[in-house]
Amino acid sequence: MSETKKLSVNYAACIGCETCEYVCRFANETPRIHMARTRSGLMVPLYCHHCEDPHCVKVCKQGAIVVDAQGVVLLNTMLCRGCDSRQCIQACPYAAMFETDKGVMLAKCDLCAARRRAGLEPACAEMCPTGAILYAVPETLKKAETPESLAAVERVLAHIRGK
Amino acid sequence: MRGMNFNFLCGEPPRPNGRNVGIIGAGPSGLAAAGLLSCQGYQVEVYDKLPKPGGLMLFGIPGHRIPKERIETGTRRMAKRYGVIYHTRTKVCCSAPLHEEEGDHFCADMRGLADLLEKHEAIIICSGSWKSRRLGIPGESLPGVYAGIQFLFPIRAVQYTAPNVKVPDVVGKRVMVIGAGHSAVDVAHSALSLGAAEVCMVYRRSRKEAPCGTYEIQRLEDMGVRWRELTTPMRFLGQDTVEGVEVSEKVVDEQGAMVERTTVIPAEVVVTAIGEIATPPFAKELGLENVRRGEVRWLNMTAIENVFVAGDALSGPSKIGKAVYSGLRAARSLANWLDLKAQNRQHEFTGDLMARSPEPTGSHGAV
Repeated sequence: MSETKKLSVNYAACIGCETCEYVCRFANETPRIHMARTRSGLMVPLYCHHCEDPHCVKVCKQGAIVVDAQGVVLLNTMLCRGCDSRQCIQACPYAAMFETDKGVMLAKCDLCAARRRAGLEPACAEMCPTGAILYAVPETLKKAETPESLAAVERVLAHIRGK
Repeated sequence: MRGMNFNFLCGEPPRPNGRNVGIIGAGPSGLAAAGLLSCQGYQVEVYDKLPKPGGLMLFGIPGHRIPKERIETGTRRMAKRYGVIYHTRTKVCCSAPLHEEEGDHFCADMRGLADLLEKHEAIIICSGSWKSRRLGIPGESLPGVYAGIQFLFPIRAVQYTAPNVKVPDVVGKRVMVIGAGHSAVDVAHSALSLGAAEVCMVYRRSRKEAPCGTYEIQRLEDMGVRWRELTTPMRFLGQDTVEGVEVSEKVVDEQGAMVERTTVIPAEVVVTAIGEIATPPFAKELGLENVRRGEVRWLNMTAIENVFVAGDALSGPSKIGKAVYSGLRAARSLANWLDLKAQNRQHEFTGDLMARSPEPTGSHGAV
């Protein structure tokens, strides 16, 4: 299993306060984690899971989405041409590719690459008031799962996938 | 538990830059501003009326939503590693008389803004929104009628001894919650766990329009809360204490038409959780009346030089995230301002437009 730390939001603990989105905005100008409201009024931050076998990488014809040596899924803005087909947005099972009005008109989480280079951790996890955002190796994230958190993920995914 | 890292913008503490700033209010925006400035070498002193830093994250929102350790560890770390000094139980006065707002119970010290301006090179006001909106209907001052924070605040605050802080007595009583936002949900929750006999939630619009969402309503119903929608409180009833609420509710009659009827819902405790109002000190002197409420207006210097304002005090009640962002931007603006001032280049300060010029646009930065 990968040794790279990734993000995981415990939707059962999240209170929808939007701190993650706003500190991401402060750190990265365009936020890469977004608060969505489900039909039943749940506030849920959508974010990149840095999948082991990412669909977004497969569908991008420009090869602009790559997986780096650590398993972090990165958008290469030099290759992305902000194409109209928006296949990466459609392919993401977590609705975590965000259309913007800046640059290549696409934003995605790079686990705060610039911060990691400076020895810091992703801003959203650092500042979450509830501690709902974990940044840890997959094994630790797996151990932190509870029946409540798994049920909450199911509710969120059902919303994203329109069921 | 790891704390909130208010110093998330830096690693090791920086060398002191010799400047000293004061922050009024230790809630999300004040602590975020303190985090940024202490990461840049400022000596930061934070003033708060409460016995501990954290604001409504600690004293308003129930502990099962925001664990208090997460706030306490974060604020302690900021003090120990980054030298931030907290002056708790200290109110910087005042647009409202003392003991008018929730949380004033704890104040042991009062400072004036002028004293602070002498002591610090610049100040950020992050005093938040502590005054509850009232319905303005007859009987609202009857004992047993509480406003949202008035009900929630003592539940968290009672662990810090202060005169007049008492958990509302709801044991065996019928509790009515008016409103359908997140604090209304928190009130209903708390009333149940404190041992209320019955809890009913009254909202003037429909379930689908409730700001807290249908999922939260369903969860409360599963716990035994009675939900009554399209129901508007008209007046509070009772002699010495509240005994019930006269409401006007919309119902469907036998012909299938929507009709309004007046009924009385008995209740010994009523909580109006319909939102808060910002209570910045010196609103007039600071020119805050120029600021439109509820917009994403960030950081800014007020009409008084070296005094900045952020968070709910600036833009009205909002979410923690917005308050944090506003605090960060105000802190960045303050640092820019002091840097330019040190070089005698104040005229280049752009910050943004609020309260700096009578024209809404067009004179960006030109003073």
